[in-house]
Amino acid sequence: MLHTILLTVLLLCILGTGIVAVIIPDLFSSVVLFGSFSFFVVLAYLMLSAPDVAFTEVVISVVSTAYFVTAVREFKKGER
Amino acid sequence: MTKGANSVILEVAYRMLTPVLLMFGIYVLVHGELSPGGGFQAGVILGLAIICERILTPEDDAKHPLWEYRSVAAAGLGTLLYALVGIFTIAGGGKFLGYSFLPIPAGIGERHAYGMLFIEIGVTICVMATVVSIFDSLGKRGRKDDDSGSVL
Repeated sequence: MLHTILLTVLLLCILGTGIVAVIIPDLFSSVVLFGSFSFFVVLAYLMLSAPDVAFTEVVISVVSTAYFVTAVREFKKGER
Repeated sequence: MTKGANSVILEVAYRMLTPVLLMFGIYVLVHGELSPGGGFQAGVILGLAIICERILTPEDDAKHPLWEYRSVAAAGLGTLLYALVGIFTIAGGGKFLGYSFLPIPAGIGERHAYGMLFIEIGVTICVMATVVSIFDSLGKRGRKDDDSGSVL
């Protein structure tokens, strides 16, 4: 029962951060929200007892956040 | 954004974080068969250590590890290691990556373990270099535009 409740809360968090990350106008905020989105996805994977997938997702989310931050920085540099 | 060591917190965090990242990457690599982890994850963790260094230190390309084309060369080296293990198993009389035919003096189980370890090392080197190479090419375009002012 507790497992189900926790998983539901996690899925709602995933839904919320995902939707806000898409509709928010500022690019950097979108990147940060995407990072929190993947954090909640990692927790959901762990609750569904798939630690290998969760580990891969952690690593991918960290490196993609670094990429996105660099890309947004270059984009803003070119915009000016 | 100004690059460089203008923040004490970032500088100290980088100094303390990088050894842990490198150590954890190696642990994930060699312990990958028994626990979650493996070549890909270890490669990205090792690449992140290098990316941290790129972000937090001033731009002096020649001082960075794996600068310019060297990252692509290292990626090729990792793939070559992967292929060499397969070719050695063919030379030992088996199929491609049939670890039982690896020509080393050891038992079958140890041959499997060594073959998988070397393949994971190849994957790690390739992924690490590719991550660094992608990061470099993301940052390079804006720098070139700033320098010359032209599209190319």
